[in-house]
Amino acid sequence: MDAKVIKPEAEGRDDNALKIVGTSPVRPDGVPKVTGLARYGADFALPGMLWGAILRSPHAHARIRAIDTSKAGSLTGVKAVITSADFPEQKYEFVGPERVAINFWHMTRNVMAREKVLYEGHAVAAVAATSKAIAEAALRLIEVDYEPLPHVIDVDAAMQPDAPLLFEDMITRGVEPPPKNASNISKRTELNLGDVDAGFAAADEIVEMSFKTAPVHQGYIEPHACLARFDAKGQGEIWAASQGHFVVRAFTARLLNMNIGDVLVHPAEIGGGFGGKTVIYVEPLAAALSRKCGHPVKIMMSREDVFKSTGPTSGSSMTVKIGARKDGTLVAADGLFKFQAGAFPGSPVMNATMCGFAPYNIPNVRSVGYDVVCNRPKSAAYRAPGSPISAFAVESVMDALAAKLGMDPLKFRLMNACKTGTPTAWGPKHAHDGYAETVKALLAHPAYAAPLGKNQGRGFASGFWFNNGGESSATVHVNEDGTVVVATGSMDIGGSRASMAIMAAETLGIAYDDVRAIVADTASIGYTHVTGGSRVTFATGIAVVEACRKVIAELCARAAMIWKLEPGEVIWENGCARPADAAAGKLEPMPLKAIAAKRALTGGPIGAEASVNAGGAAPGFATELCDVEVDPETGGVKILRFIVAQDVGRAIHRSYVEGQMEGGAVQGIGWALNEEYIYDDAGRLLNAGFLDYRIPVASDLPMIETVLVEVPNPNHPYGAKGVGEVNIVPAMAAVANAINNAIGRRLTELPMSPPKVLAAIHSGQK
Amino acid sequence: MSKHHVTTTLNGNAVEFLCETQQTLLEVLRDELHHTGTKEGCATGDCGACSVTLDGRLVCSCLVLGVEAQGKSIQTIEGMAEGTSLHPLQRKFLEHAALQCGVCTPGILIAARALLERNPDPSEEEVRFWLAGNLCRCTGYNKIIDAVLDAAHEMRGG
Amino acid sequence: MNAAPVHVVLISSHSGHYTGGVKEFEIEAKTLHDVIRVLDQRYPGLGEHLEEETSVAIDGEIHEVAYFHPMRPGGEVYFIPKIEGG
Repeated sequence: MDAKVIKPEAEGRDDNALKIVGTSPVRPDGVPKVTGLARYGADFALPGMLWGAILRSPHAHARIRAIDTSKAGSLTGVKAVITSADFPEQKYEFVGPERVAINFWHMTRNVMAREKVLYEGHAVAAVAATSKAIAEAALRLIEVDYEPLPHVIDVDAAMQPDAPLLFEDMITRGVEPPPKNASNISKRTELNLGDVDAGFAAADEIVEMSFKTAPVHQGYIEPHACLARFDAKGQGEIWAASQGHFVVRAFTARLLNMNIGDVLVHPAEIGGGFGGKTVIYVEPLAAALSRKCGHPVKIMMSREDVFKSTGPTSGSSMTVKIGARKDGTLVAADGLFKFQAGAFPGSPVMNATMCGFAPYNIPNVRSVGYDVVCNRPKSAAYRAPGSPISAFAVESVMDALAAKLGMDPLKFRLMNACKTGTPTAWGPKHAHDGYAETVKALLAHPAYAAPLGKNQGRGFASGFWFNNGGESSATVHVNEDGTVVVATGSMDIGGSRASMAIMAAETLGIAYDDVRAIVADTASIGYTHVTGGSRVTFATGIAVVEACRKVIAELCARAAMIWKLEPGEVIWENGCARPADAAAGKLEPMPLKAIAAKRALTGGPIGAEASVNAGGAAPGFATELCDVEVDPETGGVKILRFIVAQDVGRAIHRSYVEGQMEGGAVQGIGWALNEEYIYDDAGRLLNAGFLDYRIPVASDLPMIETVLVEVPNPNHPYGAKGVGEVNIVPAMAAVANAINNAIGRRLTELPMSPPKVLAAIHSGQK
Repeated sequence: MSKHHVTTTLNGNAVEFLCETQQTLLEVLRDELHHTGTKEGCATGDCGACSVTLDGRLVCSCLVLGVEAQGKSIQTIEGMAEGTSLHPLQRKFLEHAALQCGVCTPGILIAARALLERNPDPSEEEVRFWLAGNLCRCTGYNKIIDAVLDAAHEMRGG
Repeated sequence: MNAAPVHVVLISSHSGHYTGGVKEFEIEAKTLHDVIRVLDQRYPGLGEHLEEETSVAIDGEIHEVAYFHPMRPGGEVYFIPKIEGG
């Protein structure tokens, strides 16, 4: 299906001047990936390699009285056994940015339980042995003396005063004065804009509803896996699939009490992450085992391990209230967002409070969040973490409010759309447009007014995501033959090597095929933050372009030397050096290849590095249309049509931008209709596999349609905005609003699985 | 624990290996024969990442024991290209950007080839249902379906 | 300096611990470094909190906290919770 591209602001940069940006060349890492030769986390091996295996808790909550590993340790073929005693204690403190503060006291307990196990699947010990079978047999010989404790799964239940406590001394942060009693509420946050009570007093119509969403897993197809090797001098190497090998290095070094420089992390190809591989699980265990026995150790998680012990995103309980005047002007909004953090603090609830109302110009907003621990695996980032959850509530209420006002849901959104200068709930004014343009794109789409059949309905929803910048590094080296190698520190999760090669080729003025882009290991490139937050094309792209510009300056200087001109007398144009001034004589432009050939004569190899802390990332906005057909006999919902209109700034590699939009929408459809964690009364996960945790398959779906809205970001050399995440944000509400349109019943709990839809159809209430 | 001696054919080459009784064909391919192009996504037959053909039949190699390969012919992703000449499906997957992370890609390519051997002119719906056992979490399937249909068209001489 | 001061707002909920709840300031500054230094002089420890735990919106554009950002006379600076994505 051909995507549409809409360019609301054609002025500024002349798109026609761009030769490679916006095309869709084959990715540099493509052939290895279609021939089976690309090496992912589980695909590495070393001579003398051992297999690691992890013993996991069968209990949702229990005190560990004792662990006896002596029998396992004496089994023939077992080379090392580790427990939490093999990891140094960490100081209890929240470090780093408030929203994502890390507490290594928590992290070391998550990778290996200490005093207590806090969820089924929590790691308690690990072994390394000469075969998988021996490692598994050794796990069965480890004796753990548990004292089972009462557990709590649901977020509302966990907030009750009599709920079982995961941490007996945890006092809620963010409440003044601090509460006297411990609770499972790790943190409370509140954002305020204007006067909410006065705002609602001025409203003619108000809609207030409550919602619940289930935790959902990122569902990457590649389970976590790594290979670690430590030598006698205490230096180590790790081959791991992650969204950030520098973060793997930092966290592993910290948990093993090593210097960062003593750990080298090689970036394996990554088989999907979606946020879930921005943290570590198996890496410190493999490293500790290897350090203990002196052999390389490989650990692969099973799919069951992935579901039971790695981060889903939070489940939630939310109440949202929005008020408007008769003419449709929004006057006030109030949101209460309670998120399950899982076993350790750190849900994305703060993002949720910030993003939920962000698309709209609302003068009076209050947005309150609670971060709540419960006996589930610790939540991890998942595509625009937090934003899709609050958007489900806000966009459902917006839909209901539009109906109450008798307004078209898209026109209602458009009249209240944020733009540059609109205040946000968290303080600063929006600095970029782009939202209204996504709404207009759907209003102009033929699907907007297409007829619907029996049992069919149409829904709309919008979403906001910040998009990140931050620290990135890139090097650009000109090879002897005039080809170019671009290296960055950004793990390539969806084609970013192609985007980097495009931007380098465009900047240097050479052919795409003359640029080879790679991902360098932690010893070969400067620090680069994770591939997450839709930051790579923006921030790492800026580093690549800066490095290219340095190389161009050097190429001009070399050409000047060859021509016996001053460096300032040469400029770069269309891949060639040429004298700036025609008066310099009739000198033919000198192509990069010719300058490279004379590199030794002019000073040696030509290359440059650029490291940046990129700011000015423009946010992403998306608006989506969903048509569904509801089977009145089964409650099954079929997606008939789904359109994503997203502001992408400017598409660098057009096909991969479309791919992000298509993939994000489908993850949202799975979240809306199928995906959930199901627990038994003992707090054990009942559906820890892809058969029962059902992510969308090809036959569930139509072709997802994409509309690329291009409102360029002036803070990026080619106008790019992050495109990876915001596409998932509106999806669940778009589906819910479509179901409401089809059956006249509003579903407020995710997933909207057939039993719930059927119950809604049979309920009397509208 | 004594091992079994198995004689089989892998991508047209005669191969012998030793395996334990409980080792799956997936484990044998990856850990004993070092053919790591076949991926483990679930080891329970639910995701299709480990798809191979056994005497032409599409199977999840995680659900087949290594010893069951005795006397059979196994085709994996490593045998799909002829030398440096990619199979049309491989080429179309690259042209259509039908992979993002690429970890499901080997299994999907094997499954798609099995489809086109049976049905050289499938409809979009037939492709979607045939590939319903192959999970992809990145792409939303659009470009995979497009690539398979385009490869089929080309292979028919279109 | 006769330029208009920069309007500075602290949004991060921890900031109040340092300032006794004061959240808005008018500060004469040429760079973000100046802003942080002035605040840290008034409220010892606040500078490190802002450097380590916040992002900054300068006239709406979100940046990582870095000393070199220039300040516009009459500009708006919000120290906000740092954002990380998936």
